[in-house]
Amino acid sequence: MGEFATFIANNLADFWTYTGFCNATPGHLVMILVGLFFIYLAIAKEFEPMLLIPIGFGILIGNIPFNIEAGLKVGIYEEGSVLNILYQGVTSGWYPPLIFLGIGAMTDFSALISNPKLLLIGAAAQFGIFGAYMIALEMGFNPMQAGAIGIIGGADGPTAIFLSSKLAPNLMGAIAVSAYSYMALVPVIQPPIMRLLTTKKERVMRMAPPRKVSHTEKVMFPIIGLLLTCFLVPSGLPLLGMLFFGNLLKESGVTRRLAETARGPLIDTITILLGLTVGASTQASEFLTWDSIKIFLLGALSFIIATASGVLFVKIFNLILPKHKRINPLIGNAGVSAVPDSARISQIVGLEYDPTNYLLMHAMGPNVAGVIGSAVAAGILLGFLSM
Amino acid sequence: MQIMNKLKGILWGLLLTVGLVSCNHYDGTSKLLINEVLTDNEANFQDDYGIHSAWIEVFNKSYGSVDLAGCYLKVSNSPGDTLTYTIPKGDVLTVVKPRQHALFWADAKPNRGTFHTNFILHAERPNWIGLYDSGEKLLDEIVVPVLGADQSYARVQDASKQWEVKGGSPDKYVTPSTNNQTIEKNEKMEKFELHDSAGVGMSLTAMLVVFVGLILLYVIFRTLGKAIFKEKQTAKPSVDMKQEDTANKAANCPDEVYAAIAMALHEELGGVHDIESNVLTIHRVHSPWSAKYDALRVIPRKK
Repeated sequence: MGEFATFIANNLADFWTYTGFCNATPGHLVMILVGLFFIYLAIAKEFEPMLLIPIGFGILIGNIPFNIEAGLKVGIYEEGSVLNILYQGVTSGWYPPLIFLGIGAMTDFSALISNPKLLLIGAAAQFGIFGAYMIALEMGFNPMQAGAIGIIGGADGPTAIFLSSKLAPNLMGAIAVSAYSYMALVPVIQPPIMRLLTTKKERVMRMAPPRKVSHTEKVMFPIIGLLLTCFLVPSGLPLLGMLFFGNLLKESGVTRRLAETARGPLIDTITILLGLTVGASTQASEFLTWDSIKIFLLGALSFIIATASGVLFVKIFNLILPKHKRINPLIGNAGVSAVPDSARISQIVGLEYDPTNYLLMHAMGPNVAGVIGSAVAAGILLGFLSM
Repeated sequence: MQIMNKLKGILWGLLLTVGLVSCNHYDGTSKLLINEVLTDNEANFQDDYGIHSAWIEVFNKSYGSVDLAGCYLKVSNSPGDTLTYTIPKGDVLTVVKPRQHALFWADAKPNRGTFHTNFILHAERPNWIGLYDSGEKLLDEIVVPVLGADQSYARVQDASKQWEVKGGSPDKYVTPSTNNQTIEKNEKMEKFELHDSAGVGMSLTAMLVVFVGLILLYVIFRTLGKAIFKEKQTAKPSVDMKQEDTANKAANCPDEVYAAIAMALHEELGGVHDIESNVLTIHRVHSPWSAKYDALRVIPRKK
């Protein structure tokens, strides 16, 4: 009887070593709190819930402590585990292009085609990427890591994941979480900068309504866009190719079912898998480092630089534009490619100063140009910095 | 129509240009290359049997796996004496991974395995070696000069065009089954750290490319938009177009009007109301499943 009791006690003691309670570290608890905070932001504040719910819950999944030495094959970094298999879409970089396919299939480039000079705002906002790149170099990151961190300033989650998986895989978790966090915080970060850099007169500036765009132009846009950007930057092909392909599915008018799948079930499925696995990749042991803190700091700076450079570029651009063609600087922030959040911010801030001045359609131009611009920038960084 | 013709012209022009450009740059697309050859093996690499034999290294320069099965290795020392070794099928080891090597022993002992050829290389004479695919298309060839003992004739770097004699000096070493030149540093990164430690050059270059790309897009779509606008202006309205114009007059009103009409219709047809009565109304619909007549058994009648 005594031996049996000892056996049971040993079994229970053994079992205890497998539990999360036994293996928990302060790092795990911190990360679980971060995950809960993300879920709170998504539900209570409705900040990018489609992203923050999967990422937040992914953080919880990734930070359930377990006995790593037991070889249970449950952790995301354990080869052969289910999470590891799902994570391969991130590490091999094929989730982001599929997300871009969906984005292409749901994006209407009409605002941009009708007023193509808005493309330049999308280009100017990419200063955020390279500003952060230079600061990251100053902070001691090597050029590849700095490039991967800088792309946070593009405000494009899939692009950030794609580039960091190629240039700095060890920093990918921090970069992805940082990029998505700041995308969710666009309503908090951008308005003060926009107000700071514009005068009251500029904020109420009205823009001419966009002209109607013909079907031919809409069909030509993805074809010409692909040929031009990818001949210039072939390394951006996975992202730009899928973006323009998705857009052609939408605009051709003859592949409605394919376009609906790309912008519906497909992008939803990939978003779930991407968000969850990126969240789960933030295992405390890998994530809670000084580098992650630096990355978060650089991410904030890159968003600020990107927003400021977009707004300032419009102000400078207005100096050479005829009066009737001038652009409201409040749409400069939309050059970062957080679609459509940053365009919505232009609209909201614009309405604060003139309740009849609707800037949304105008802001969508630089916003979608930002998507193209950040993908091109990612391609350039990949071309220059990859081994 | 005029625009469509112009666009067709532009597209054909583009395709032709791309075709011509790619033709000019054609320089052999073989994924498999002969990378290094050693003809006189005295104290160099040993095979699995512990024997020193001459060897030929094949390199897969592509970023995808390539199967050597069915390919041919041919050797000749003088005209008319070409010997051919067919690389056997059915061995998984013939699949060469991206940017990896396969080593063949020229020992005339093919029974020792897939990688042992049926010929030898002559150390005292130059050797011509050819690599052919399964369709006997020449992939790569090289004439190996007479070499000293344990010297190899190799490409300076994997897949590079220049060849050199390796062995005998610390910077030119024989490298069977591995890279012809060991890469110990990332030159690209070192250049960046040396010339552009602050990242200004990189940032300026990259921003220039971003702007050039988007400015080109801007120019194209500005031109296209103007051309379409001009065509609309100049096109004489035909009878059909006039009718279409009349029919579409209503369609030219602002989008807000459409939105208002759509909302009104939706409210009217959808039965949207502000206050819910909390009373459920079940509309009876005839169905054989609920019809009493169909559900009841028919009483047999005596005729």
